[in-house]
Amino acid sequence: MTALSVSTAISSGRVALVNVRQRSLLTARLRVLWVVAGFVLVAIAALARIGILGLFEDAPQSRSLSEALLPPRGEITDRNGVPLARAFPAYALWYNPRALDDGGAPLIKSPAEVARELAHIFPDIDVQDVTRRLASGRPGYLRRRLLPEEANKVQAIGEIALEIPQETERFYPQGSMAAHVLGYVGADGHGKVGMEEVLDKRLRDPAHRGEPAALSIDMRVQGALEDELKSGMLAVDAMGAAGIILDVDSGEVLALASLPAFDPNKIDAAGEKNMFNRVTNQVYELGSTFKPLTVAAAIDAGVVTDLSKRYQANRPLEIGRFKIRDSHTIGDTLNVPETLIHSSNIVTAQIADALGGKALKRTMADLGMNERPYIELPARGFPIWPSGEWPRLRTMTVSYGHGIAVTPLHLASAYAAMVNGGIWRPATLYKVEPGHAPRGRRVFKASTSARMNQLLRMIAVYGTGRKADAPGFRVGGKTGSAEKPGAGGYRHHSLISTFAAAFPMDRPRYVVIVMLDEPKGTAASSYQRTAAWNAAPIVGKVVPRVGPLLGVMPDETRDIDLTDLKPLVHGGEG
Amino acid sequence: MSAGSRPYIPGPGERIAKPAGLRRDRRTELRIWWREIDRTLLLIVVLLMGFGSLAVAVASPASAHRLSTSAVQLPDLYFFWMHLRWQFLGFVAMIGASMLPRESARRAGILLGAAMLVALVLVPLVGYEVNGAKRWLRFGFTIQPSEFLKPAFAIGVAWILSWRVRDPHLPVVGISAGVMALVAALLMAQPDFGSTILFAGVWFVLVLLSGIPVKRMGWLMGAGVLCMTATYFLYDNARHRIDAFLGGGTAFDQVDLASRTLLAGGWTGSGMWLGIRKMSLPEAHTDYIFSVIGEEFGLLTCALVVVLYLAFTVRILVRLVNEEDLFTILAAAGLTAQIGGQAFINILVNLQLFPSKGMTLPLISYGGSSTVALCLTVGFLLAITRRNPFLSREKFDWKHALSSGDMQ
Repeated sequence: MTALSVSTAISSGRVALVNVRQRSLLTARLRVLWVVAGFVLVAIAALARIGILGLFEDAPQSRSLSEALLPPRGEITDRNGVPLARAFPAYALWYNPRALDDGGAPLIKSPAEVARELAHIFPDIDVQDVTRRLASGRPGYLRRRLLPEEANKVQAIGEIALEIPQETERFYPQGSMAAHVLGYVGADGHGKVGMEEVLDKRLRDPAHRGEPAALSIDMRVQGALEDELKSGMLAVDAMGAAGIILDVDSGEVLALASLPAFDPNKIDAAGEKNMFNRVTNQVYELGSTFKPLTVAAAIDAGVVTDLSKRYQANRPLEIGRFKIRDSHTIGDTLNVPETLIHSSNIVTAQIADALGGKALKRTMADLGMNERPYIELPARGFPIWPSGEWPRLRTMTVSYGHGIAVTPLHLASAYAAMVNGGIWRPATLYKVEPGHAPRGRRVFKASTSARMNQLLRMIAVYGTGRKADAPGFRVGGKTGSAEKPGAGGYRHHSLISTFAAAFPMDRPRYVVIVMLDEPKGTAASSYQRTAAWNAAPIVGKVVPRVGPLLGVMPDETRDIDLTDLKPLVHGGEG
Repeated sequence: MSAGSRPYIPGPGERIAKPAGLRRDRRTELRIWWREIDRTLLLIVVLLMGFGSLAVAVASPASAHRLSTSAVQLPDLYFFWMHLRWQFLGFVAMIGASMLPRESARRAGILLGAAMLVALVLVPLVGYEVNGAKRWLRFGFTIQPSEFLKPAFAIGVAWILSWRVRDPHLPVVGISAGVMALVAALLMAQPDFGSTILFAGVWFVLVLLSGIPVKRMGWLMGAGVLCMTATYFLYDNARHRIDAFLGGGTAFDQVDLASRTLLAGGWTGSGMWLGIRKMSLPEAHTDYIFSVIGEEFGLLTCALVVVLYLAFTVRILVRLVNEEDLFTILAAAGLTAQIGGQAFINILVNLQLFPSKGMTLPLISYGGSSTVALCLTVGFLLAITRRNPFLSREKFDWKHALSSGDMQ
């Protein structure tokens, strides 16, 4: 009995124990799931936090010490490292009425007294106006730019409310020089108009803004071009002027000027009017400067094989109702060199007629006349380009530069192709390292180019370009004086006079284009309006100034060989 | 005496050959180990450790620069090579521990726990001080006893709580609470608030699993909050950190630097070794390595790390649901809570969701000897969760568990 009771006690204890084990296990298993749920919740919270941080928190601007020392915007230099645009800290004068922060008057002295002391430092300010602004208690700029010594004097006034915050200033040390190439930086901190706009991203990129961006411009050449262009423009009272100097082998723009210019250091309404670029943005009918291109196309196509062949020149060409005439009768007949020297529309039109519209159009298209000019600047004008098959009359007018309107830059690139051996290359404002020039495309044969160099030189020696023939620089080039189109036809007294030149002609290195918009006949141009009297002399003055800078020395003993063509020209020997 | 009365002496007969299948040499043991171990878990751990090597390599230059003096220039990858060394030791310890049978693992854990408790008592007496806290013992090399106590503590408390199934009348929760109080007292003497919180969390999870009623759980939580409040007022360092967390802190405190570092890389990161912010971050290779990962590898990688830790905890815990031994459930859950808890506290600190604690990211951060301790923890986990894959288990019965799971 006893034994039995003991055994039941043990067994009932065992049963209870098994029960406890079973129940503990069940509980533990269930509560393990609570722990899992807890971890999942925490992980979801962490992931949500990561998502929120990634979506809504801005990444902090990383500013290491080396970055803090970088300029806020990269510099722009010319091809030799001369700074054209720099960033430097400047001072402004800011009125902060709350600077004292004691609830009382913002100034210690009276506003009138402070204004008088400011007028001592800045004699040009209006004392009454400044007094009113100080008394009004509104914060604002009293002056945008202070010199350091002026800042010291303002400090010496002893007014805490006059604050001198440092601001970064975009400064163009050359003033308005190359303004159209550079552009300016707007109030939003982004570049406008010129290379400031093109290079905006690079100039602000911390990885690159430490090193300056080099342009193809040569500041000395730019200065000479602008100087001569400006005096030439003023001498003949022209509305505007444009000039460009292009390296014929690399397409680099060494100088590009559009006058009147603006000052990128001081942008105002007057400056904004002058921001449009006559070299790359405005299209003009460039007139007779197209004649050498037509002749080159004809020689290249084998249409003109004999330069001594004579064409009639004493009566206007009649195409339907339209008459093509010259400014004056030059002679009964003219050969090809004489045509260019005296700039005969009648003969050029006959040559173009023989060449045919198709061939002329293809050559013009090969020279890039059918699209916007190739250059980095944002403002590039689209040419007035006659589409479709050119009829006879159109072919003839295009041959002497009418009925087609392009920018002076188009003309410069085309002339570069004509004189450099026949390769057309896009113009660029970036410095091109030697040997890295683009391959370009062949437009003319090398023999054609050599012949054209002789003809261009002859124009400068014997023809309308004589005033551009700077001694020793072997200049060659062609004048062009085109009437501006106006309401109801061409206006006889508003001209675009252009001189398209290259030098030295024995081995052409640079193309120079000078264009004047509506020159007047003044004493300086012997009361003439045509390019021979106003644009050509500018080239004649620019070339001697820029030639030595660019490595072209004047040399009277060297010239392109003209002996085979001289006999064809009246006035030449033989 | 007759010959018949001679006692029977058995002669050497034929020896019974041992059954071939039960022979246990080292190769068989290895094969069994490979068969029984949780290989998914091992993969996750190896992934975390591998990523840890990468992260320490990335954070190493920052810390090497910071800790270099004019006398001693640390090479950029100093901490990386050190970390690889510790990781190798840790990996050996992990594999070694994971080969122990469950019983031996338990015993080893308990013995280690006892040893570390003694060491913890010694720390205030002979330990040495770093940054105002005495946590380290030096025997030629330095160890932090509290790190090695972590795995031992979980196993020990699980063992104490599992006494219940032998004698339901033992006050196991009380005994474990006593152990907890002792450990807490020793830790706060150092002082080490972060570890105390972690130990208390592990203990709480274990007590929760051991089935205390919901009502008492509420009491425990209340007591926890009370303790925290008390610490806030009694313990300066904790007060500063909590104040900084609630009040936003000063502009250039560690937490702020960490958050700038975390966000500096955006979603996809700055690229390996290209981060800049990490250079000004103190403790880049330890407490704030998560932020360094954020800068170098991006927020998406941070999310991946969170998911890896979640996978680690969920993998172990879900497998425990059809476990049949109470000690296994408790010990494995305790160890998991300890690693997962530490990981998530560290991550939440880096994400500014938790006051800064001075806790490393387990298996990823550089940790010196604590890397070995963490690997040992994982080794114990692997050992305890070993399972014969040929035994089928009782399915977890949801309805039954929900109707009778909670003991009254």
